[in-house]
Amino acid sequence: MPDDDDRARARHLDTERAALGGVGAEQIAEPATHGHGDELAAPAPYDVWSRVPSIDGSVAALGEATYYDRPVIKEPVWIWTVPAYFHTGGAAGAAAVLGAVAQLRGGLDGLVGRCRWIATGGSALGTVFLIADLGRPVRFLNMLRVLRPTSPMSVGSWLLAAMSGAATVSAVGRGRGGAAGALARFAGLGGGVLGGPLAGYTGVLLSNTAVPAWQGARRALPLLFAGSSVVAAASLLELLDLDDHEQAVVRGFHTAGALWELAAGAAVEREVGRVERAARPYHEGASGALWTAAKAATAASLLVSLLPGGGRARRALSGLLGTLGSLALRFAVFQAGRVSSRDPRATFQQQRAGRGAAEVTATPAVTGPGRRALAG
Amino acid sequence: MTVDHGVPPTRTETPEQRQGSFTVLERDRFGPGPKGFFTDTTVCIGCKACEAACKQWNQLPDDGFVFTGMSYDNTVDLGASTWRHVSFVERPVPLPGQTTGGGDFSWLLMSDVCKHCVRAGCLEACPTGAIVRTEFDSVFVQPDVCNGCGYCIPACPFGVIDRRDDDGRAWKCTLCYDRLRDGMVPACAQACPTDSIVFGDIDELRAIAEQRVRTLHDRGLTDAYLYGVDAASQPGTDGLNAFFLLVDEPDVYNLPPDPVVPTKKVRESWLAVAVGAAGILAAAVGAVLAGTPGGNHR
Repeated sequence: MPDDDDRARARHLDTERAALGGVGAEQIAEPATHGHGDELAAPAPYDVWSRVPSIDGSVAALGEATYYDRPVIKEPVWIWTVPAYFHTGGAAGAAAVLGAVAQLRGGLDGLVGRCRWIATGGSALGTVFLIADLGRPVRFLNMLRVLRPTSPMSVGSWLLAAMSGAATVSAVGRGRGGAAGALARFAGLGGGVLGGPLAGYTGVLLSNTAVPAWQGARRALPLLFAGSSVVAAASLLELLDLDDHEQAVVRGFHTAGALWELAAGAAVEREVGRVERAARPYHEGASGALWTAAKAATAASLLVSLLPGGGRARRALSGLLGTLGSLALRFAVFQAGRVSSRDPRATFQQQRAGRGAAEVTATPAVTGPGRRALAG
Repeated sequence: MTVDHGVPPTRTETPEQRQGSFTVLERDRFGPGPKGFFTDTTVCIGCKACEAACKQWNQLPDDGFVFTGMSYDNTVDLGASTWRHVSFVERPVPLPGQTTGGGDFSWLLMSDVCKHCVRAGCLEACPTGAIVRTEFDSVFVQPDVCNGCGYCIPACPFGVIDRRDDDGRAWKCTLCYDRLRDGMVPACAQACPTDSIVFGDIDELRAIAEQRVRTLHDRGLTDAYLYGVDAASQPGTDGLNAFFLLVDEPDVYNLPPDPVVPTKKVRESWLAVAVGAAGILAAAVGAVLAGTPGGNHR
């Protein structure tokens, strides 16, 4: 933690004349990120000589005028652990559902156990991933300070906490007799109830933002993440030992999930593609490449899972491809949002096309000179 | 006569001492109730006194000293340590009635700030309850609660709130909550030499702003309009407590034309989650039944 002298220096403050007491005085500013220009990697100056600095909105085509190409919204600050959590948390949720159904069916003890451990490990690892992303990790318990229904992250935190608890009880108590075993069976069913929402809410987490590539896919994104979670769970199970019947169950689960993920991926492209600019990151650059790779890996895992025979190699390959596909998909969507948030024209064109507030509000916004209303 | 030099009272001063110095505070000058800014961009001269006053009062760190080439704007944008930002828009067209020496040209200057939306995206996204609404209807981030999850940052449709890596928490304009509590207007409004930034009760600000638009229209500046003045003109946010008088499309000032608090669109996303959860259950039931023909196989 910086001392008072450091804080005063970052503010060019003479402590003989002024006391540190402002609202922002507590804000930590490391010497490397403030100071006198030479310490900073300054952005390349905007080229004012060869281009018109900014364009009159009534002259330029609406949606093309920007303020020196600066982003309108802020880029998400999340790190790689967040899309990684989307995968592990999703796998945990879908595995918990499969485990609960297998538990009710009976006779699939090995599968039930492995599902419960995937649910336990996935939600625990996911929790670690999420805490690692926090700006102040020691305050992670503040996530359970309130329940805010308007915040998908708040709802998700409670879901994850409940899932983590239920899955751990169900895994640790499995096979025990008496009250412990009954409690484990009850917790296993509880995990089955929580698993579906846990697998899908991360789609809401992203769509409930101002990021054009995410908000533009608000209906399809939760479905995509739910389908991808089925593939993620099935793929992990294919890497584990199971008996013949259990292998058949997992293969069916994988097939359904892969078909679903591919269909939902097409639905995302279609929904966000109503505004070409918002959909661009799904087709171009690193995010576009990841998106294509995810589709290819999932399709390949589907083909392998449909191959006849139950060989160990076939299962391992199918599991590996499915895991890669699900991981690539989460990182592709995440990266697409980051790219999209840097593109002011994506925001402008989406809202000019009637995909801003106009989608849900009855009256159009006043957006231009002479109180011109937005053309819906 | 009351002269408010904007000096904060220290806790050890008695009222007599305070009067004996140079500030007489009227602690009840502002009752609770909606307060905000009306920023009239037509009288902004781009002096950045608001930026400096905000930095100074709130004791925010500097942003580094960089040259951007973006006209006289080296502040670039609002952020964790920058709560007022003056935009310098250079247009290749004149304003109505304006004559220029060589070629068509006009300035648009705007002091941007947190909009303190009536429906605030950051507040509705905050999972910890760190972001609250105050008795002045402003949106305030409690630095002692925020754990830096970063969800408010993409949830803001205006790109206002941000987190700096070294600090780890989200920060933005507080509408000078500390000053309001002591009966003083926010630092930026007090420093503004042209009254481009007007602080006050929202109802009064609306009346002033409507009158100003009428005056400008009478003078021939028919492009003048109010951005976000109420829920009717900006239904996506239910109106802004800090609204603006603009003379060109919002895009030109880097403001979104039809912003929406993301929560207004979230219902269908949650329905999709319900469908997805049902789908996972269906896939599991189907897979288990198909994989175990004839019931319990042991």
